Amino acid sequence: MDKLASLLHTTPATAWMVAKLVIVFGGVFSLAAVWTWVERRGAAMIQDRIGPNRAALFGKIKIIGLAQPLADGIKFFFKEDLVPHDANKGLFWLAPFLALVPALMGFAVIPFGRSFVSGGQEYHLALLDPGNGMGLLYPLAIGGMAVYGVLVAAWSSNNKWAILGGMRSSATMVSYEIGMSLAVVAIFMTAGGYDPSEVIKAQGHLPWAWNIVRQPLGFIVFFACMFAETNRLPFDFAEGESEIVAGFNTEYGSMKFSLLALSEYCHMMTASALMATLYFGGWQVPFVQDPSVMLSVASFLVKMLFFAWVYVWIRWTLPRFRYDQLMHLGWKAMLPMSMVNLVFHAWRMSQGH
Amino acid sequence: MGVVVKKVELNWLDRTYVWPVMKGMGITIRHFFRQIFTPSAKRFTIQYPDMKKEMPAGYRGLHELKRFEDGAIKCVACFMCQEACPARCISIEAEEFSDLTFTQGFEEKRPAKFTIDMLRCIYCGMCEEACPKDAIWLRKDYEVAAYDRLSMQFGKWDLMNTYTEADGKERISQDPTPSVPRRTIAM
Amino acid sequence: MFITFALITLLGALGMLLQKNVVVAGLCMVAAFFGVAGLFVLLANPVAAALQIIVYTGAIMVLVLFVIMMLNSHQEEEAQASHPVQRWLSLALLAVLALGGVKLVMGSAGLKALAEKGSTMPQAMTLEKVGTALFADHLLGFEVAGLVLLAAMIGAVALTKRNL
Repeated sequence: MDKLASLLHTTPATAWMVAKLVIVFGGVFSLAAVWTWVERRGAAMIQDRIGPNRAALFGKIKIIGLAQPLADGIKFFFKEDLVPHDANKGLFWLAPFLALVPALMGFAVIPFGRSFVSGGQEYHLALLDPGNGMGLLYPLAIGGMAVYGVLVAAWSSNNKWAILGGMRSSATMVSYEIGMSLAVVAIFMTAGGYDPSEVIKAQGHLPWAWNIVRQPLGFIVFFACMFAETNRLPFDFAEGESEIVAGFNTEYGSMKFSLLALSEYCHMMTASALMATLYFGGWQVPFVQDPSVMLSVASFLVKMLFFAWVYVWIRWTLPRFRYDQLMHLGWKAMLPMSMVNLVFHAWRMSQGH
Repeated sequence: MGVVVKKVELNWLDRTYVWPVMKGMGITIRHFFRQIFTPSAKRFTIQYPDMKKEMPAGYRGLHELKRFEDGAIKCVACFMCQEACPARCISIEAEEFSDLTFTQGFEEKRPAKFTIDMLRCIYCGMCEEACPKDAIWLRKDYEVAAYDRLSMQFGKWDLMNTYTEADGKERISQDPTPSVPRRTIAM
Repeated sequence: MFITFALITLLGALGMLLQKNVVVAGLCMVAAFFGVAGLFVLLANPVAAALQIIVYTGAIMVLVLFVIMMLNSHQEEEAQASHPVQRWLSLALLAVLALGGVKLVMGSAGLKALAEKGSTMPQAMTLEKVGTALFADHLLGFEVAGLVLLAAMIGAVALTKRNL
């Protein structure tokens, strides 16, 4: 790292920051792109089909269809870019970026590996170093911003289905954010800090000390709320193709549509990383006291990708809720459950556990 | 007639919603793994250009005009198929020839031209039913396509050679015996 | 950094005031909130920034936009009559207030101390500190706010739900 920095005439800290930026954003973005393929292939396998397996590099190398995202990208790039006649043009252009940027930004605080010391300097494997004062409030805040992408896309395309989808999804997001925040607050309380590194340290390396065991109720609430936040299937009220055509992205095509779709997958990645961090010990490797850096990164990746797979898995298992069922679940089940979780842990802490 | 909808009483475990979801996920993951470990030849999907569906016996696909061992056409140009064809896609022109081996020296008829318009054909198999000599039959090939209309007019030799590769037979493009110019009876 | 965030805030606020389209105005307000959050971070108070985004942009503005879309009022009514006197009066009042504010800040003891001693890097605000401040120093205010909010909530439920 030092050598590379001196080669580029920068300080190691700057070079490290740039490297992290590239790794995190590039990694999340490409994982999201790959996950579009995983989603289609997984769905096919679950339904006893085969899925996209024919896209080949240079027409020769098939690698089980992994070139599909690439082919999709090229196709989207060269498609005609339509803007509906009465759409609000500026906002119509802005919406995909409003959707994509928060989805990518949310990942910034999550440590994807343990910190290490090299050349007398400590390197942290997270974009924002621990102790930045934002901690896990940051992904929550950024997650709250994500609704604007959907909302603006819906409103600006001047389409009644789009507006219905946007309104449904914004109402969903606002109502599920409360339950999610309360579930996270319980974690802050038991961990004694709200920095992700503190949360991870508090969980330790033993699987039965992780928050999933300590707060199963909180996990269920957080898990369900994350589905609502990312607009994934049991709660995907922004789209709902059987009811409102394609929902908020009805009028979108070509690259703008692909950005909207990618932002959903980026959001999914961030959400699964959050779940791994909050409830499954982040980069901790089970039963290993001091894992090496690579091992910890691998452990984090495995956890994160598992949850990303659970997203796909659940999507092809459960049907969509009805809207009133969703609101019922959000306000009358999720919120009280996370309240109970919070109060229970507060009580336990007051008892000196 | 009314339909009686049975109300299902859910027990407390099912009403938590978590357990049924996990059951459903178990089912889907079972399908996932079963599919992933099935070799691709045994999956339900037939990946068409690479794999082809083996058509069952009795499938009516592309026609073949049958031949004798020496390559002579079995068809006697009786026009039965042309008459039977509901789509009127068969057109035959007859000619005469003398065949010593199979027809004991008689002079016989055979088609000089036998054209089937594959764009018109509806693969009903009526020609096969009508043929008194079992000279035409519809077999399993279902990939009949071309870039222009003219090449969808299958002639006599096209039709005789449709399944040569599948049967390992020789391609032929000539009758074993020459045709005889039509004789007029000398008075 | 300060200039950037200040510009975002000011342009957002101006856009909100001048924009004819209600939804665009709402989005400008979101931008202004975002700029304010950035200013909070520069003031070494990331907690306030995060809460600003969570509460204001994440919840309140979404609801406001939701209501705007629900009402779907694309056309603005024309103002019935212009009020030149009021307009100038308000401008003058605003100017006086702004001048007073600037004077207050310039004459404050803190600024004098800052000029004499030079600035020290302030300790970053954390959630723990916010919690201590709320429950130790401002307990009464916190409880009163809680009570007011509870009353508002009960009022809202009573207003919307006719038959309890």
